[in-house]
Amino acid sequence: MAAYLEMMRIRFLAMLAYRVNYYSGVVIYVVYIGSYYFIWQAVYAGRAALGGLTAAQMTTYLAVAWMSRAFWFNNLDREISNEIRDGTVAVQFIRPYNYLVAKLAGALGEGLFRLAFFAAPGLAAAALVFPVRFPSDARLWVVFAAATLLAFAVNSLFNVIAGLVAFFTLNNTGILHTKRVLVDLFSGLFLPLGFYPAWAQDAPRWLPFQAISYLPSLVFTGALRGPELWRALAVQAFWIAVLAVAAAWLWRRAGRRLVVQGG
Amino acid sequence: MALRGLEMARYLPLIARFVAQNLKSRLAYPADFWTGLASDLVHQAANLVFILVVFQHAPSLHGWRREEVVFIYGYFLVPFAVFHATAANLWDFADRYVVRGEFDRVLTRPLPSLLQVFLETMELESLLGAVTGVAAMAWAGRALGLDWRLADLAIFPVLVAGGVAIYYGIFIALAAVAFWTDSRTGLIPLLWNLNAYGRYPVDIYSRRLRFVFTWVLPLAFVGFFPAAYFLRRGAWGWYAALTPAVGALVLAFGVAVWSAGVRRYRGAGS
Amino acid sequence: MAIIEARQLTKEFRKFKSRPGLAGAFRDLFTRRYETVRAVDAIDLTVEPGEVVGYIGPNGAGKSTTIKMLTGILVPTAGHLLVNGCVPHRERERFVRTIGVVFGQRSQLWWDIAVRESFRLLQRIYGVPDAEYRRRLDELAGVLELGDLLDVPVRKLSLGQRMRCELAAALLHGPSLLFLDEPTIGLDVVVKLRIRDFLREINARHGTTILLTTHDLADIEALCPRVVILDRGRILYDGALDAIRRDGQGLEEVVRAIYQGEAVGGGAGAGPGGRRVPELGGGRAAEGGSAVEPEGGRQYGAGGAG
Ligand SMILES: Nc1ncnc2c1ncn2[C@@H]1O[C@H](COP(=O)(O)OP(=O)(O)OP(=O)(O)O)[C@@H](O)[C@H]1O
Ligand SMILES: [Mg+2]
Repeated sequence: MAAYLEMMRIRFLAMLAYRVNYYSGVVIYVVYIGSYYFIWQAVYAGRAALGGLTAAQMTTYLAVAWMSRAFWFNNLDREISNEIRDGTVAVQFIRPYNYLVAKLAGALGEGLFRLAFFAAPGLAAAALVFPVRFPSDARLWVVFAAATLLAFAVNSLFNVIAGLVAFFTLNNTGILHTKRVLVDLFSGLFLPLGFYPAWAQDAPRWLPFQAISYLPSLVFTGALRGPELWRALAVQAFWIAVLAVAAAWLWRRAGRRLVVQGG
Repeated sequence: MALRGLEMARYLPLIARFVAQNLKSRLAYPADFWTGLASDLVHQAANLVFILVVFQHAPSLHGWRREEVVFIYGYFLVPFAVFHATAANLWDFADRYVVRGEFDRVLTRPLPSLLQVFLETMELESLLGAVTGVAAMAWAGRALGLDWRLADLAIFPVLVAGGVAIYYGIFIALAAVAFWTDSRTGLIPLLWNLNAYGRYPVDIYSRRLRFVFTWVLPLAFVGFFPAAYFLRRGAWGWYAALTPAVGALVLAFGVAVWSAGVRRYRGAGS
Repeated sequence: MAIIEARQLTKEFRKFKSRPGLAGAFRDLFTRRYETVRAVDAIDLTVEPGEVVGYIGPNGAGKSTTIKMLTGILVPTAGHLLVNGCVPHRERERFVRTIGVVFGQRSQLWWDIAVRESFRLLQRIYGVPDAEYRRRLDELAGVLELGDLLDVPVRKLSLGQRMRCELAAALLHGPSLLFLDEPTIGLDVVVKLRIRDFLREINARHGTTILLTTHDLADIEALCPRVVILDRGRILYDGALDAIRRDGQGLEEVVRAIYQGEAVGGGAGAGPGGRRVPELGGGRAAEGGSAVEPEGGRQYGAGGAG
């Protein structure tokens, strides 16, 4: 356990070194939010509510979706498939810890860094520029915090799986890029799932992606109430369980394959 | 500028050689090639889905109809694809060339360093985006009953070239920032998506942003103004006439920043 | 006229110093501390056409940095430099046509394509006429025994195979001056011998001037009548190899003694050809120790392999 904590810490420190990225990152996320904010402003054009969100909620949704992306986003997929391919993973096998858990711990360190120094100030900055409404109910903040943490778990596990699959198919850039576009699209990052035409809404609701961005952001806007909040958390937990099992299974197979290839 | 052009002509056979070499080594990994194509298509599809979904909820965006917005996006894809296919190497320039010191090699060769960086890695399969773009333009153009003139055939490549030059200039300058900082990832992966601003009607943005995207970071000249010209939206379309000049200016700026940066190159601590 | 002419050539690097711990890292985010390292410190170096010069010194001495300035990769912080009649970084494109460069640590070839294709590309880049290109390639492939390697992608070559190809690549355009930074690093004895023979041969046959860094003193003994010894950015010795050898001592020991701060023995200053040896003072001890306080609080040659 101490080893995993140390990994988190190291990664956290490593992130601090990237100064330019950090400064520009806050600005850039505001720029992203802006690019969608104006489009949505034009779409609402005075209408009260669309797709289950009011114009004000939509702005809040965009801001919080992008800023929490800073927390849950990571490059585990690329790191894992690269490390397996170039053989550095062999070194990990002789270390006294679980490779995947160590990777996840590192990613969490990175995520926490961005949350503290990037997402939080970024959200504040966004609130200065755009009319973002923060929830006044303390309970919502707690649920949102939990949902964001779970979103991190869902996305990271999904990245682990993508990384391992990319390894099996001996190709990465294309697959991983496609995956990223799909996650952005189906997680509701820039298009809340409620906006899809009715016939197209079902598919995303049965996929794990909504647990990454759509659900936590909805919590924050206050569009979910009472039992809906708990249902959102339950959906996230469900996907974490499923993805964790799948990741563990793939990892065992990858390990066997590595041995066969002789590392 | 004309002199530069002549100089470039001297390099044409060499450029052709590099292109051939690049294709050869891309095709050595067919899986990468095909999934690269597929991922570009998925990306473009996602952007189109976004536009289509948005128009499910609104009849128009600030007076722009769905087909017009699709047309603008389609047009935008053409210069973007050319840029993406040829300047792919700028993406991890900071890490690969500056931090890891591969720029050493570039500087020991008797070619302009910028040209070499462009030529060493290209992702020519991204040119498919231009096909998607033209298809989107054709579909939207028909739905709108656009009248094409013969002169447009000549105007189109000029405007595209201007747009590409604007992208080159902006991203060359951003890549060159790596010569001043010691950060690993550089700015480009962060700023890549700025292009989102070039593909929607600029009048949906606030006055200040409109000014910025016209005169400061002239992204509106890449996609929107030229597309507005072909859409015969007079007021905006006239700006398109400035596209080549703006392109030349921004490119010159990028190259100047680059040249200043090269003098600061420190190499990797062996 | 000298082929390399450096006066007071200096290169400084500004290095970011990170503070320890989490709190330190956090402070680094806002204010950074830098220190200036003088990697090459006002050196004078003159090389005549046709010479083979060994440029040696401990890790971090500034050898690679010097070579990068001489080849136009780095812009000097101060000093005058004329190589092959050019100021390297100023007329870079014209200048590099006249030189060849090999970095032992880093490939100059294109990773994914066959060696032959890489060579072809270089031919086009340097504008070498076809007939001349074929003649040179035949010669180089013969001496370096490249025969079977030419159709293999660079990434599939072993280190020794790659290094032979790198040498050929650096000479395809017939440069009059060749820079080699650790060309024999990691190579086995057989390949090393072949490379030494090869270098001696091109020097004899074409009069190619060679400046070479290495940590293998056998390379120096085999190739270089003249050595320049560098430490912490300063030249400790410049002169004939024979002059620093003491009776009954191997070169290895002599050089170690010099690196460790002992004054260069005997009539070292009066090397053949009357080459000037910089003021050695009391030897390295006076220079490296705290006796010399760098002006402006600068720290010199923080050392260590970068
Ligand atoms: N890009 C750089 N940034 C900062 N410092 C550098 C850089 N390159 C070199 N240095 C520093 O300059 C000094 C000289 O380095 P250089 O690489 O020239 O040494 P060298 O003699 O080639 O050593 P080696 O035998 O280990 O290759 C070292 O202190 C090194 O840390
Ligand atoms: Mg060195």
